[in-house]
Amino acid sequence: MTQADFMIDREQFSKLFPFHFLLDANMRVLQTGAVLARICPQFCVGQELNDHFSLFDLSSDRAKRITPELISRRQTGIFIFESATSNLSLRLQAIILRDPERYLFLGSPWVRTLKQMQLLQLVMNDFALHDSTVDLLQMTQTNDIIKRDLYQLVADRTAKLSLANAELSRVMRSKDDFLSAMSHELRTPLNAVLGLSESLAEGVYGEMNAKQAQSINTIAESGRHLLSLINDLLDLAKIGAGKMELELNNANMEDVCQASLRLVLGQAQKKNLNLTLAMNDKSVMLMADERRLKQILVNLLSNAVKFTPDGGSVTLETMWDLESESLMFSVRDTGIGITTEDLKRLFSPFTQLDSKLSRQYAGTGLGLSLVLKLAELHGGSVTVESEIGKGSCFTLRIPGKGLENAIRGGDKGAVTISEISPTKILPSNTPLVLVADDNEINLITVSDYLRANQWRVIQARDGLEAVKMARQHAPSLVLMDIQMPQMDGLDAIVHLRADNQYAKIPIIALTSCAIGGDRERCMAAGANDYLSKPVNMKQLVKIMHALLPKDETR
Amino acid sequence: MYGMVNKSVQALVTTTFGIDKWESIKRKAGVKEDVFLSNESYPDSITYGLIGAATEVLGMSADEILFAFGEFWILHTAREEYGDMLSSAGRNLPEFLEYLPMFHIRVALIFPNLKPPRFECSNRKADRITMHYFSHRPGLSVFVRGLFSGVAKLYNTPAQITQTKFKDKGDDHDEFLVYWGDAAKQ
Repeated sequence: MTQADFMIDREQFSKLFPFHFLLDANMRVLQTGAVLARICPQFCVGQELNDHFSLFDLSSDRAKRITPELISRRQTGIFIFESATSNLSLRLQAIILRDPERYLFLGSPWVRTLKQMQLLQLVMNDFALHDSTVDLLQMTQTNDIIKRDLYQLVADRTAKLSLANAELSRVMRSKDDFLSAMSHELRTPLNAVLGLSESLAEGVYGEMNAKQAQSINTIAESGRHLLSLINDLLDLAKIGAGKMELELNNANMEDVCQASLRLVLGQAQKKNLNLTLAMNDKSVMLMADERRLKQILVNLLSNAVKFTPDGGSVTLETMWDLESESLMFSVRDTGIGITTEDLKRLFSPFTQLDSKLSRQYAGTGLGLSLVLKLAELHGGSVTVESEIGKGSCFTLRIPGKGLENAIRGGDKGAVTISEISPTKILPSNTPLVLVADDNEINLITVSDYLRANQWRVIQARDGLEAVKMARQHAPSLVLMDIQMPQMDGLDAIVHLRADNQYAKIPIIALTSCAIGGDRERCMAAGANDYLSKPVNMKQLVKIMHALLPKDETR
Repeated sequence: MYGMVNKSVQALVTTTFGIDKWESIKRKAGVKEDVFLSNESYPDSITYGLIGAATEVLGMSADEILFAFGEFWILHTAREEYGDMLSSAGRNLPEFLEYLPMFHIRVALIFPNLKPPRFECSNRKADRITMHYFSHRPGLSVFVRGLFSGVAKLYNTPAQITQTKFKDKGDDHDEFLVYWGDAAKQ
């Protein structure tokens, strides 16, 4: 095949290579492309290359003098020539021509942005069509726009999400406020139910016949059940709102297990169940919230007792799980068992396994959901295995980090409960108690109980009246409800504490709100102690005794 | 059409008539997109739908809207988003117009899904040029006239643009005669 010879004229060549130049053997310019001539007019025929350009060495970042030897040595590489007088850099390929010896350089300006191109007074049309420089620059700019669009999109979506989050937080706060209010509304009447039942059962209002006593017991039992349901609901709400904080202590596990079993002993005895505790290490201590741990175990044990037929057995077993470094509490029963299908939804709130079961076995379906959440708060878990007709085994795992096999400790001081006797006329040196509460039933319940227990009582129905009564009668102790009209209990406490005469008078705050932070607010206002309603009257009296000076206690 | 066109319709309406009008136009056109991405391809029907809805909501004719949109596209959208690309296409109006055919070919190479129109130039004189516009998209010749007008404004060059061939009247393409300098004043 014969190679085709062709000639193109200078103008055509310049159109194809608008930035080319041709040098003689002495590195002097013989010819330049039209665009190069326009943007670099001094670089014209007869000029020496090195007077206008130097070689930029990519590896050493240094400029070099350009010689025929250097060109010959590097002729397979890319040459970057930097202008001595402007920002122009040329990206070139060298072709060495012989007879006569000449050096032809083909290429275009080395630019990385369209902006750079404009600074060199270049437009896209200055580049040859076969030169992809312009396409690359356009693509770079397009990519920048895509990036900017995406950043903008992300920013817009983030702003929308932030708004949604803020709205969600507002709704959550409203929910908390609602729960707090509901807690108050539910606990106030319950306080009266439980308090009055207690007073009646203790004969404060006179002796009752057997039927009446039984009815009162039923009322009290139902009230306590209702209270536990409200407490479960509030606990779930608190966990949901992230407000449940564990009070971690180094707790003795045998004590926790024994106490939990004691709480279900009565139920178990009624069904003639065999209740067993099996511990392989009775001295084990665990960093946990003792009250919440008991709540979990009591819940699991109550369920086991509830769903185990008469004459069966319920076992609480503890052992170390070395693999997960946790202490396992297994509650095993010989009960009715749970189907595989039901196991899947066992821990969902408000789940009762079936309507038949829920009629036969009372409950809200909150217990196991709460158990799981409390276990998770401890960093633990709850699992279940069950076989229909043979029984179930719930296993609670609480991580054992921080565990110390410390010496079992703690004096578990027993609570002494005073005998309650009927009301009688009291001598004037008997301690005087100011009871402040806007709820008439609560006021009567607490006052009656105290009078029956040999206290003198005066009453106030709002904070303002409480301050006034305190100043008039100088009581030995004040029981202050917090949510009251005119002036709330917290303000009333602050007013009393501001007066030197009442700065040290014992004040016990009583509140129906069980949402976190009440205790801190009451104590900060100046209360000596705090009780959440429904108030356990015996506990209240015990605290009152503890707060009164020795010579004033009865 | 690429999102940059819809984005531009959005920008024109929101800056000139307010965000509420834009929301009305979007609702009327049944457009669900919150945001248009410049280099994302969208069905042409979205653009036509937006322009159709704009004529009703803004009480303007389609020609008025398309011409305003053409000018706006050059003077705002393209200048803000593709300013360097626009400036690199020519140092003056004639250079820009001459480069337009090549510009669209390059754009088509970069954006593989875009089916850009084709331009040709002829009869280049010192004060005028004939621009030929070929597109499979119907009804956009007024928009193109707005684009030419916008480019003339971009280069601060008084110009007169006259459409001399009409595809929707049976010609095989649209043709525009662009005058500048003294010729534009006649």
